[in-house]
Amino acid sequence: MTGKKKTLRLNSVSRGAETVIYIILGLFSLCCIIPFVFVIIIAFSSEASIRQIGYSFIPLEWSTEAYQYAFQKLPQIWRSYFNSIFITVVGTALSTLMCALYSYVLYRPDFKFRGFFNFFSFFTMIFGGGLVPTYIICSQVLGLNENYAALIVPLLVNPFNIIIMRTFFQSSVPLELIEAATIDGSGEYSTLFRIVAPIAKPGIATVALLNALVFWNDWYLSLLYIKRNKVLQPLQALLMELQNNVEYLNRMAGQMGAAAVSEAAKMPSQSLRMVLVVLIVVPIACAYPFFQRYIVAGLSVGSVKG
Amino acid sequence: MARKNTTSEKLPAPMRYKFSKYKKTLVLLTMAAPTAIWLLLLRYLPMGGIVLAFKDYKINPRNPSFISNLLNSKWMGLDNFKFLFMTDDAKIMFRNTLAYNIIFIILGIVIPVAFAIMLNEVTRKFVAKTYQTLMFFPYFLSWVVVSYFLNAFIDGQYGMITAMQRAAGGDVTNWYTTLGPWPYIIVFANLWKNVGYTTVLYLSAITGIDSTQYEAASIDGASKWQQIWYVTIPNLRTMICILFIMNVGKIFNADFGLFYSVPMNSGALYPVTQVIDTYVYRALKVTGDISMSAAAGLLQNVLGFICILTANTIVKKIDSDSSMF
Amino acid sequence: MKKLLSLVLAMMMVLSLAACGGGNNNAPAGNDAPAKTDTPAKTDAPDDAPAASDLEPVTLSVWFHGSTVAPEASARVMESVNAYLKDKINVTLEPIWGTWADFDTATVTALAGGDNVDIYFTCNWSANEYNKYARDGYWVKLDDLLPTYGADLLTTIPESIWECARTNGYDGAGVYGVPALKDTATQNCWDLNGTLLAELGYDVDEFVAFASMNPDFYYSDEFEEVLQKAKDYKGGDFYPLMGEPVVFERIVTGTAIVTGDLNGAPVLSYYYDLEHPAKDIGSRIVCKYATPEFKKFAERTYYLAQKGFISPQTQNVDTANSYRESCALTGDYLISSQSYAFGCEVDYSRQRGGLDVRMIPTDAPYMDATSGQGAMMAISAVSKNPERALMFLNLLNTDPELMTMLNYGTEGYVYNKNADGSITFVEEVRSTYNPWRNGMGNIRMLPPTAEEGLDYWDRFSAYYDSAEVLPYGSFILDTSELSNEATALANVYGQYGFQLMGGATNPDTVLPEFLAKLEEAGIQKLLDAANEQLAASLS
Repeated sequence: MTGKKKTLRLNSVSRGAETVIYIILGLFSLCCIIPFVFVIIIAFSSEASIRQIGYSFIPLEWSTEAYQYAFQKLPQIWRSYFNSIFITVVGTALSTLMCALYSYVLYRPDFKFRGFFNFFSFFTMIFGGGLVPTYIICSQVLGLNENYAALIVPLLVNPFNIIIMRTFFQSSVPLELIEAATIDGSGEYSTLFRIVAPIAKPGIATVALLNALVFWNDWYLSLLYIKRNKVLQPLQALLMELQNNVEYLNRMAGQMGAAAVSEAAKMPSQSLRMVLVVLIVVPIACAYPFFQRYIVAGLSVGSVKG
Repeated sequence: MARKNTTSEKLPAPMRYKFSKYKKTLVLLTMAAPTAIWLLLLRYLPMGGIVLAFKDYKINPRNPSFISNLLNSKWMGLDNFKFLFMTDDAKIMFRNTLAYNIIFIILGIVIPVAFAIMLNEVTRKFVAKTYQTLMFFPYFLSWVVVSYFLNAFIDGQYGMITAMQRAAGGDVTNWYTTLGPWPYIIVFANLWKNVGYTTVLYLSAITGIDSTQYEAASIDGASKWQQIWYVTIPNLRTMICILFIMNVGKIFNADFGLFYSVPMNSGALYPVTQVIDTYVYRALKVTGDISMSAAAGLLQNVLGFICILTANTIVKKIDSDSSMF
Repeated sequence: MKKLLSLVLAMMMVLSLAACGGGNNNAPAGNDAPAKTDTPAKTDAPDDAPAASDLEPVTLSVWFHGSTVAPEASARVMESVNAYLKDKINVTLEPIWGTWADFDTATVTALAGGDNVDIYFTCNWSANEYNKYARDGYWVKLDDLLPTYGADLLTTIPESIWECARTNGYDGAGVYGVPALKDTATQNCWDLNGTLLAELGYDVDEFVAFASMNPDFYYSDEFEEVLQKAKDYKGGDFYPLMGEPVVFERIVTGTAIVTGDLNGAPVLSYYYDLEHPAKDIGSRIVCKYATPEFKKFAERTYYLAQKGFISPQTQNVDTANSYRESCALTGDYLISSQSYAFGCEVDYSRQRGGLDVRMIPTDAPYMDATSGQGAMMAISAVSKNPERALMFLNLLNTDPELMTMLNYGTEGYVYNKNADGSITFVEEVRSTYNPWRNGMGNIRMLPPTAEEGLDYWDRFSAYYDSAEVLPYGSFILDTSELSNEATALANVYGQYGFQLMGGATNPDTVLPEFLAKLEEAGIQKLLDAANEQLAASLS
């Protein structure tokens, strides 16, 4: 502990420089959070206020009506909440595990087919079969239809993450460690989980975070694969459906005439949409520190392997 | 595991070596298997659909399955690609796509690296964590929500800037028909959304740096700035190169929502907001032709592939450890 | 080498698996071909509906459009619907409650991917294009099936509507979908805020009489004067003229939508006689933006916008509809545009808190393929039971009980019957079971709601049946050979069209640029093709 403190002092930048850093990062962070504050304000604005002055930081009137509406009139919200959490937890665990396994193999220079598997994943980052063929394979061949698997399986692998993870392994895990472990008679799986994983924790946590975000934010899979059994819709899909309904009616207004206006009038209010945004962002933002613990654990030089 | 080891120990030495090597490859293969199978099923199998780009996709009424439809559809040669190059707008959209992406790639390296290093220098951990959390927020907001936010400032009727201009008695700018500010707005919006994400990648790479390197440097009397320059940045080199190569591969693809929703799909702004993806979207809303969308996607991919190979070769020449393959 | 090998391998995998997939799907399609010809022979009396017990039980998947239906509400209503359908045609209905949003992506993907869906909603105004899909072979041609399985349909739906449903499909001209008997005519109107007009000191009836069927209304000094008065009266932030620019343009220039014109990017116009739409005035299809009428309209609109009569919000596609909707609800407008739907002034007046909403017609109601194809149901080519699907559509469009149950939900749950035969919704439940009424089919069989009044549907039918058919009849433009031009034109339209019609940009500088770009994108080719097809269709 004392050693760490000493390093810290030795390695700090000057007071002045640190102040500048505080200001620059602070300003940018502020830019990042203000739009979200804005969303919260709209979610608490009364519908009449939005009608009169549009979206504004200072609404004419505050209201919690949209929240009440969301929780009372949309029973699906609770179920969707559960769906989102379930999909994210299972999806993140599976995808991160698969990614770590595959990347570990790519990281091993002594693996015979390293080049092949490296290219095998990289190639799919650039080329894909397109929406319709992928859809057909998923829904008709693999049976990913109207079930949770349809919301998880198509997002399990991301070549980008594989490359990131491999890079983390390469830069933080010395190969000698693996050799030593092999000589000690450690099996490949136990080498990965007992020796490599703890060292590469920041990298694994980062990839897990990226995966979690993808699963949490996804709505497109639900749009494609959940049509008859809509109770499976995740929260984000619920929001995007409202959003896209409005956008569609906007686009069609010229052709639909009176119908577009009266149908648009049926749509849930604008503050309700913002309520959904808040409901979506808050849980994942709360989960963020969990990942951050590992990512920032080593912040301030010297604490990782001190 | 132990039992297997004992069996292999019974074998004569050269064979034991061979066996264990074989076994190791096998075990590593089982590790790669789940992902490899996934890639095969969900990525390689649908690639047959690339043929779509060269077909005029029609339903075969006698046997309306996708494959039979595909086989029975007429070959179009390169006709499906023509719509991308029909008019002078093609030049504009290719120019915009490339120019924005080049700016995004450069700033998308410089700023997150700088931020990651800065965050690493923040001595109060709580502050560092808070900053980092806040920076991630834009990632949660969809471009549609961002467009509402921007609209609250620049809307011609209710916008705050408009209100200020009115109060000052000056002319009111019609932001959605004025080209000038939009390149800046788009670049900023893109950075705003992605910097937090990329910063995390660099930050965790910094975290993984072996602290003995810094200790050695400070013993040698290196100042903080020298440590950053000679220890941190070289250690980030691999991550920078990898992200660079991957971004180059997407240089012909644009973030649709950024160029479509944020400018509120305003026609007068096309000269600075029209990119390949928005052009294709608008075009295909009319024809609804999946062959044409397949063609556009394929073209973007092939061009991206060429770029990525070029970038990889260049990186390999400069620093062979940092290349992707 | 390895890379190449892996690629080749992958491709082979694709094709081999494809072959299997093809084989699987082949079976039902193969069975179905003889069934088509056999079944009519088996049932000797084709006019009689076969007894439900004689029929194999089948499940039909139907994709509806624009629905707001919660899962549990759907489950409850389907219980009754399916019990009823079992007795009638031994069918189990599996509805897909499509929303507005999923139409352009999910439906299109499902269609191209050959999803197991029997019946799709289709129409001529979104990405889900009836005519295009008929050409590309997505729909089952109904001409041969209709006399046997849709006999009641043939008599219920008037010939003029069937005429609109006829299109050039993959199997020749014919009917590829069942049109809905709904608001099947088009009439353009000014939507006038009578309450505000009265406050301004006008005699509302007199003003309505002046504006009604007056092609010069928009250009008159009275028009400008009343807008100015309203603006002065309500203050600087008030924008009296509020319209959907595209509808606006059609009202003022008196043009019809050319069916098959670029989707969401109109570039063609067809002029007709405003008072007698059926009268042949020798009209041809023209480029919407190259006419003197359009120039006059654009200049006037820009002028009015510059005077502060048009809100910047309505000049942007993304904000326009929500803005119009909210201004309409609060009555913050004086004159707006409306493509008329029967009885909408009553609905609007109620929605807008009792505002005196006046609809001022600018032309007589007319019918063309656009209005006739507004909502249809088509049977997918992959359907294993096209005959049964048609029997279902037949029942849906001729059986008031089924139509009411599907559209309004079950009695006692979604609505209650009043003593006089009208119905009243249980608002709470209706918000969770609210399919798009007009999208479902023959809505003229529905019971009237208490608000609509008992004679609502009679008046409804009388109004729509009075519509005259435009001289070009049920003409449908086919742009499939010109898809490259279409894509370029759509982008040019996107860049100029909407904002020009909304008065956001100055036509003096923008219009020539716009026309030059249209020219470059191939508008002439489209026009030539359109007029050639029109001549062929008329002869």
